[in-house]
Amino acid sequence: MDVVAAREASAEPVTVHDVTVTPWSRALVVRWPKGGFVWNRPTAVLVEQDGQARRIPIVDVTRILQVGLLGLAILTAGASLLGCRRRTGGAA
Amino acid sequence: MTDTRDASLAEDLSLIDRAGEQAPKMLEKIFAAAQPGAVFGQPVESGSYTLITASEVTSGGGFGVGMGRGPAPKPDAKQSPPAEAERPAGKQSIGGSGFGGGGGSMGRPVAIIAIGPSGVTVRPVVDVTKVVLAAVTASAAMLGLRRAMRRAAKGKS
Repeated sequence: MDVVAAREASAEPVTVHDVTVTPWSRALVVRWPKGGFVWNRPTAVLVEQDGQARRIPIVDVTRILQVGLLGLAILTAGASLLGCRRRTGGAA
Repeated sequence: MTDTRDASLAEDLSLIDRAGEQAPKMLEKIFAAAQPGAVFGQPVESGSYTLITASEVTSGGGFGVGMGRGPAPKPDAKQSPPAEAERPAGKQSIGGSGFGGGGGSMGRPVAIIAIGPSGVTVRPVVDVTKVVLAAVTASAAMLGLRRAMRRAAKGKS
Protein backbone atom coordinates (compact mmCIF):
# COMPACT_ATOMS: atom_id res chain seq x y z
CA MET A 1 0.00 0.00 0.00
CA ASP A 2 1.57 3.30 -1.14
CA VAL A 3 1.86 6.19 1.25
CA VAL A 4 1.17 8.66 -1.54
CA ALA A 5 -0.76 7.65 -4.64
CA ALA A 6 -2.24 9.59 -7.52
CA ARG A 7 -4.81 7.77 -9.59
CA GLU A 8 -7.08 8.71 -12.45
CA ALA A 9 -10.41 6.95 -12.70
CA SER A 10 -13.60 7.18 -14.70
CA ALA A 11 -17.10 7.38 -13.31
CA GLU A 12 -20.14 5.54 -14.67
CA PRO A 13 -20.77 6.59 -18.30
CA VAL A 14 -23.99 8.52 -18.91
CA THR A 15 -25.79 7.94 -22.21
CA VAL A 16 -28.33 10.48 -23.42
CA HIS A 17 -29.83 9.76 -26.87
CA ASP A 18 -26.77 8.98 -28.99
CA VAL A 19 -24.19 10.70 -26.79
CA THR A 20 -22.14 8.85 -24.17
CA VAL A 21 -20.36 10.97 -21.61
CA THR A 22 -17.69 9.46 -19.34
CA PRO A 23 -16.44 11.75 -16.56
CA TRP A 24 -12.85 11.37 -15.37
CA SER A 25 -11.36 12.40 -12.06
CA ARG A 26 -7.89 12.39 -10.51
CA ALA A 27 -7.39 11.60 -6.84
CA LEU A 28 -4.39 12.19 -4.63
CA VAL A 29 -4.44 9.78 -1.70
CA VAL A 30 -2.06 10.10 1.24
CA ARG A 31 -2.16 7.30 3.81
CA TRP A 32 -0.48 6.92 7.12
CA PRO A 33 -0.97 4.15 9.69
CA LYS A 34 -3.68 5.93 11.66
CA GLY A 35 -5.34 8.19 9.13
CA GLY A 36 -5.30 9.61 5.68
CA PHE A 37 -6.08 12.42 3.30
CA VAL A 38 -7.84 12.43 -0.07
CA TRP A 39 -7.99 15.22 -2.65
CA ASN A 40 -10.20 14.28 -5.57
CA ARG A 41 -11.00 16.60 -8.45
CA PRO A 42 -12.65 16.31 -11.86
CA THR A 43 -10.29 16.45 -14.82
CA ALA A 44 -12.24 15.88 -18.03
CA VAL A 45 -15.21 14.35 -19.77
CA LEU A 46 -14.88 11.93 -22.65
CA VAL A 47 -17.67 12.47 -25.19
CA GLU A 48 -18.43 9.66 -27.63
CA GLN A 49 -20.81 10.44 -30.48
CA ASP A 50 -21.18 8.97 -33.95
CA GLY A 51 -18.16 6.73 -33.38
CA GLN A 52 -15.95 9.68 -32.56
CA ALA A 53 -14.48 10.49 -29.17
CA ARG A 54 -13.33 13.85 -27.89
CA ARG A 55 -12.02 14.91 -24.52
CA ILE A 56 -13.28 18.13 -22.93
CA PRO A 57 -11.11 19.30 -20.02
CA ILE A 58 -12.75 20.57 -16.84
CA VAL A 59 -11.04 23.79 -15.80
CA ASP A 60 -11.21 24.95 -12.17
CA VAL A 61 -11.57 28.69 -12.79
CA THR A 62 -11.80 29.55 -9.08
CA ARG A 63 -8.50 27.80 -8.32
CA ILE A 64 -6.77 29.46 -11.32
CA LEU A 65 -7.93 32.90 -10.16
CA GLN A 66 -6.85 32.20 -6.57
CA VAL A 67 -3.39 31.00 -7.63
CA GLY A 68 -3.11 33.88 -10.11
CA LEU A 69 -3.85 36.45 -7.41
CA LEU A 70 -1.34 34.81 -5.06
CA GLY A 71 1.30 34.85 -7.82
CA LEU A 72 0.54 38.50 -8.58
CA ALA A 73 0.89 39.40 -4.90
CA ILE A 74 4.25 37.61 -4.64
CA LEU A 75 5.54 39.23 -7.87
CA THR A 76 4.43 42.70 -6.74
CA ALA A 77 6.00 42.19 -3.33
CA GLY A 78 9.26 41.06 -4.94
CA ALA A 79 9.29 44.00 -7.35
CA SER A 80 8.56 46.46 -4.53
CA LEU A 81 11.34 44.99 -2.43
CA LEU A 82 13.80 45.28 -5.33
CA GLY A 83 12.71 48.87 -6.04
CA CYS A 84 13.10 49.81 -2.39
CA ARG A 85 16.61 48.31 -2.24
CA ARG A 86 17.64 50.23 -5.36
CA ARG A 87 16.28 53.53 -4.00
CA THR A 88 18.11 53.14 -0.71
CA GLY A 89 21.30 51.95 -2.41
CA GLY A 90 21.07 48.39 -1.19
CA ALA A 91 21.06 49.42 2.45
CA ALA A 92 17.43 48.50 3.08
CA MET B 1 -5.95 -6.10 44.38
CA THR B 2 -4.73 -8.33 41.60
CA ASP B 3 -8.30 -8.78 40.45
CA THR B 4 -8.84 -5.02 40.24
CA ARG B 5 -5.64 -4.60 38.27
CA ASP B 6 -6.60 -7.39 35.89
CA ALA B 7 -10.07 -5.90 35.39
CA SER B 8 -8.60 -2.49 34.64
CA LEU B 9 -6.14 -3.97 32.15
CA ALA B 10 -8.96 -5.92 30.54
CA GLU B 11 -10.94 -2.68 30.20
CA ASP B 12 -7.98 -0.99 28.52
CA LEU B 13 -7.50 -3.88 26.14
CA SER B 14 -11.21 -3.90 25.39
CA LEU B 15 -11.05 -0.20 24.57
CA ILE B 16 -8.13 -0.82 22.22
CA ASP B 17 -10.07 -3.64 20.58
CA ARG B 18 -13.09 -1.36 20.08
CA ALA B 19 -10.80 1.33 18.70
CA GLY B 20 -9.35 -1.23 16.34
CA GLU B 21 -12.85 -2.06 15.14
CA GLN B 22 -13.87 1.57 14.65
CA ALA B 23 -10.68 2.70 12.93
CA PRO B 24 -11.07 0.76 9.64
CA LYS B 25 -14.68 2.02 9.33
CA MET B 26 -13.51 5.60 9.76
CA LEU B 27 -10.66 5.16 7.28
CA GLU B 28 -13.07 3.57 4.81
CA LYS B 29 -15.25 6.68 4.96
CA ILE B 30 -12.24 8.95 4.41
CA PHE B 31 -10.96 6.97 1.43
CA ALA B 32 -14.44 6.72 -0.11
CA ALA B 33 -13.82 10.30 -1.28
CA ALA B 34 -11.20 8.91 -3.69
CA GLN B 35 -13.93 7.24 -5.78
CA PRO B 36 -15.04 9.09 -8.94
CA GLY B 37 -18.63 8.81 -7.73
CA ALA B 38 -17.78 11.27 -4.96
CA VAL B 39 -16.80 13.90 -7.51
CA PHE B 40 -19.62 13.57 -10.03
CA GLY B 41 -23.26 13.88 -9.03
CA GLN B 42 -26.17 11.87 -10.32
CA PRO B 43 -27.47 13.09 -13.72
CA VAL B 44 -30.41 15.47 -13.36
CA GLU B 45 -32.82 16.05 -16.23
CA SER B 46 -34.06 19.60 -16.74
CA GLY B 47 -36.11 20.12 -19.89
CA SER B 48 -34.11 18.93 -22.84
CA TYR B 49 -30.86 19.05 -20.85
CA THR B 50 -29.17 16.47 -18.64
CA LEU B 51 -26.92 18.05 -16.04
CA ILE B 52 -24.07 16.49 -14.06
CA THR B 53 -22.29 18.43 -11.33
CA ALA B 54 -18.53 18.06 -10.96
CA SER B 55 -17.06 18.96 -7.58
CA GLU B 56 -13.68 18.96 -5.93
CA VAL B 57 -13.76 16.79 -2.83
CA THR B 58 -11.24 16.88 0.01
CA SER B 59 -11.38 14.52 2.94
CA GLY B 60 -9.03 13.70 5.78
CA GLY B 61 -8.79 12.41 9.28
CA GLY B 62 -6.91 10.38 11.80
CA PHE B 63 -7.14 8.66 15.13
CA GLY B 64 -4.97 7.68 18.03
CA VAL B 65 -5.07 5.33 20.97
CA GLY B 66 -2.94 5.22 24.03
CA MET B 67 -2.64 3.60 27.42
CA GLY B 68 -0.29 3.83 30.33
CA ARG B 69 0.30 2.24 33.73
CA GLY B 70 2.53 2.98 36.61
CA PRO B 71 2.99 2.52 40.33
CA ALA B 72 0.64 4.47 42.51
CA PRO B 73 2.20 7.44 44.25
CA LYS B 74 3.11 7.03 47.91
CA PRO B 75 0.14 8.03 50.01
CA ASP B 76 0.66 10.97 52.33
CA ALA B 77 0.29 9.58 55.85
CA LYS B 78 -0.95 12.91 57.25
CA GLN B 79 -3.68 13.55 54.69
CA SER B 80 -4.79 10.07 53.70
CA PRO B 81 -7.17 7.96 55.69
CA PRO B 82 -5.48 5.19 57.72
CA ALA B 83 -6.57 2.42 55.35
CA GLU B 84 -4.90 4.24 52.40
CA ALA B 85 -1.74 4.90 54.32
CA GLU B 86 -1.37 1.26 55.29
CA ARG B 87 -1.27 0.07 51.66
CA PRO B 88 2.22 -0.95 50.56
CA ALA B 89 3.48 1.59 48.01
CA GLY B 90 4.64 0.28 44.65
CA LYS B 91 2.47 -2.83 44.73
CA GLN B 92 -0.62 -0.93 43.58
CA SER B 93 -0.63 0.31 40.01
CA ILE B 94 -2.78 2.92 38.37
CA GLY B 95 -3.28 3.67 34.75
CA GLY B 96 -5.58 4.83 32.05
CA SER B 97 -6.29 4.63 28.39
CA GLY B 98 -7.98 6.70 25.75
CA PHE B 99 -9.02 6.71 22.15
CA GLY B 100 -9.70 9.72 19.99
CA GLY B 101 -10.08 10.66 16.40
CA GLY B 102 -11.30 13.31 14.09
CA GLY B 103 -11.87 14.08 10.48
CA GLY B 104 -13.71 16.13 7.99
CA SER B 105 -14.54 16.52 4.36
CA MET B 106 -15.24 19.40 2.04
CA GLY B 107 -16.76 19.70 -1.39
CA ARG B 108 -16.76 22.60 -3.85
CA PRO B 109 -18.53 22.68 -7.21
CA VAL B 110 -16.08 23.15 -10.08
CA ALA B 111 -18.19 22.75 -13.21
CA ILE B 112 -21.49 21.62 -14.62
CA ILE B 113 -21.59 19.19 -17.51
CA ALA B 114 -24.61 19.92 -19.68
CA ILE B 115 -25.75 17.38 -22.27
CA GLY B 116 -28.30 18.96 -24.55
CA PRO B 117 -29.53 19.15 -28.12
CA SER B 118 -26.56 21.33 -29.08
CA GLY B 119 -24.05 18.81 -27.74
CA VAL B 120 -22.01 18.52 -24.56
CA THR B 121 -20.73 21.64 -22.82
CA VAL B 122 -18.72 22.07 -19.63
CA ARG B 123 -19.63 25.27 -17.81
CA PRO B 124 -17.25 26.38 -15.04
CA VAL B 125 -18.62 27.39 -11.65
CA VAL B 126 -16.81 30.42 -10.21
CA ASP B 127 -16.87 30.86 -6.45
CA VAL B 128 -16.99 34.68 -6.37
CA THR B 129 -16.66 34.83 -2.57
CA LYS B 130 -13.40 32.88 -2.62
CA VAL B 131 -11.97 34.96 -5.47
CA VAL B 132 -12.94 38.27 -3.80
CA LEU B 133 -11.49 37.10 -0.48
CA ALA B 134 -8.23 36.14 -2.21
CA ALA B 135 -8.12 39.54 -3.98
CA VAL B 136 -8.76 41.47 -0.75
CA THR B 137 -6.14 39.45 1.16
CA ALA B 138 -3.54 39.87 -1.60
CA SER B 139 -4.23 43.63 -1.87
CA ALA B 140 -4.02 44.10 1.90
CA ALA B 141 -0.74 42.18 2.05
CA MET B 142 0.74 44.23 -0.81
CA LEU B 143 -0.36 47.55 0.73
CA GLY B 144 1.02 46.50 4.11
CA LEU B 145 4.36 45.55 2.61
CA ARG B 146 4.57 48.80 0.63
CA ARG B 147 3.87 50.87 3.75
CA ALA B 148 6.45 48.97 5.75
CA MET B 149 9.06 49.52 3.04
CA ARG B 150 8.27 53.25 2.83
CA ARG B 151 8.68 53.56 6.57
CA ALA B 152 11.95 51.67 6.40
CA ALA B 153 13.20 53.90 3.55
CA LYS B 154 12.25 57.07 5.48
CA GLY B 155 14.00 55.77 8.56
CA LYS B 156 17.24 55.23 6.60
CA SER B 157 17.23 58.65 4.89
